[in-house]
Amino acid sequence: MAAAAIEARGLSRTFKGGIDAVRSIDLEVPEGELFGFLGPNGAGKSTTIRMLCTLLPPSGGTASVAGHDVVDQGDDVRRNIGVALQEIGLDPVQTGRELLELQCGLYGIKGSAGRDRTAELLELVGLADAAGRRTKTYSGGMKRRLDLASALVHHPKVLFLDEPTTGLDPASRLTVWDEVRSINATGTTIFLTTQYLEEADELCERLAIIDAGEIVAEGTPESLKAEIGKDVVSVELHGADAERTQRVIGDLPGLDRVIAQPDALALFVENGAASIAEVVRRLDAGDVEVGAISVSRPSLDDVFLEATGRRLEGAGTDQPEDKGAEQDEAAAKALAP
Amino acid sequence: MTEVLLLGRRAVREVVRYPEATIPTLFIPLFFLAVNIGQVQTTFNASTAPWLHGQSYVAFQLPVSLMFAVATATTGLALVTEIDSGYFDKLLVAPIRRTSLIVGRLGADLVRGLAASAVVLFVGIVIFGAHVESGPLGAVLAVLLAAMFGVAYAGFGILVALTTRNVQATNTSFLLFFPLLFLTPNFVPFDRLSPLMETLAKINPVSYVIVGIRSLIIDGWVIDKILVCLGVILVMGVVLIGLSLRAIASYDR
Repeated sequence: MAAAAIEARGLSRTFKGGIDAVRSIDLEVPEGELFGFLGPNGAGKSTTIRMLCTLLPPSGGTASVAGHDVVDQGDDVRRNIGVALQEIGLDPVQTGRELLELQCGLYGIKGSAGRDRTAELLELVGLADAAGRRTKTYSGGMKRRLDLASALVHHPKVLFLDEPTTGLDPASRLTVWDEVRSINATGTTIFLTTQYLEEADELCERLAIIDAGEIVAEGTPESLKAEIGKDVVSVELHGADAERTQRVIGDLPGLDRVIAQPDALALFVENGAASIAEVVRRLDAGDVEVGAISVSRPSLDDVFLEATGRRLEGAGTDQPEDKGAEQDEAAAKALAP
Repeated sequence: MTEVLLLGRRAVREVVRYPEATIPTLFIPLFFLAVNIGQVQTTFNASTAPWLHGQSYVAFQLPVSLMFAVATATTGLALVTEIDSGYFDKLLVAPIRRTSLIVGRLGADLVRGLAASAVVLFVGIVIFGAHVESGPLGAVLAVLLAAMFGVAYAGFGILVALTTRNVQATNTSFLLFFPLLFLTPNFVPFDRLSPLMETLAKINPVSYVIVGIRSLIIDGWVIDKILVCLGVILVMGVVLIGLSLRAIASYDR
């Protein structure tokens, strides 16, 4: 097994007022992997990334990045990482080119080497034409791409991307995915957080699911889905009583477990196609009227549902303007007993 | 060192490209200069006010305007905006000394302070007819002292920005400007102030900065006043900038 690019043991962060944003998580990301950190808003993703990037000291546990301890060897960590945080950190006063050249200079890439690297990166992220414009005139997608480029000036060993596609339109999202893949193809380890199931599924080799500061599942998207193993029959309740519906469906053949949500039942079964007919029969016999009934292969959302009892879609705090760690803190506060 | 120059150049670029942030800070000193002179110069003139040493009141007011020109919340505001935007985090994860982020900004403050006080002094001399008794070298020193005071004062804005990380709080910090610049012998000398005002002015360090720069304009070369002025600026600078450097070193810790 390759050396670990990122390793965390018992990593925790408690904010002022005793809010546990991250609760003793363990992580091991081998070199060269494209690792995803999936969870709803406020789950602790940004707080974790800020600790791994040396921006926030852990309150407990240890973590090392590129072989260096994040607390004791912060300088070594910083030399080896590239970071694109959720809040796009761009200086509105500088042009795209100036921003990248300054970034090169801060990483010790000086003079013509800095100018060459800047030109190369502008080309890579498709901003060569806009390089002379101040960044405040850029669209959201352009800002995101410039931010990504600025994280790459020094060929970092490990790249941290905090929700790199949040707020982007679908086309820009695909562009960012392509860029992330091609950066990873050059051997850069990537640690990416996301609240999008599709992104985790499509892009990441392996992922951890975080909820309320704890890792609730970890593996490749395929293995996570395979662990559930079964088909999922979803019954929309449409006003029907969950308990009664569940009782009427009773003990289906091949039923592994049922998870009740406020407006739906998820039945994890051996054979979805065979079960669906039986479900309909029993509901009909029991005179229960429900909404749509559908069967699907398990998705990461089902993995999340099985691990947390909630769906990821629509989970978390419902704020379009995500404020990263601050929000983790707010959400942790909301979840606190 | 390179990183300080790079960050300083960027901060200067910010000043140059945001004239809307700098021009109002020049308007205030020039406005007060014109208004104060216009209102009291017939009351205080060479024959009624011996402390003017034969000059017109503009010579007395000019040092106060220089203080107004350099004591701004601009740097603190620029920093807190940078914190708000997330760009500050990006700079913090770069492999540079954190203190460079402060020193670079203060470098830009020196540049802006030199430019702003040169403009105010120029207007005072050319338009309002002030005369710098200590000569061209004294005028240069007055500009330099004012700019240095501006750098020290910026340390306060940076400190507020780093500790509150709040735009409104940083914006409000300019209120400090009032006690610091008005509880001074700004209109009349110490001995013409009421006893209470005199006491307050005498414990206000900025008084000695004004007195020092004023001596260059009105009296010529009074070395002890200049040294006290310089000393006060250095102590203020060491304290405020030292606290800022400490604040950034422990930022988010």
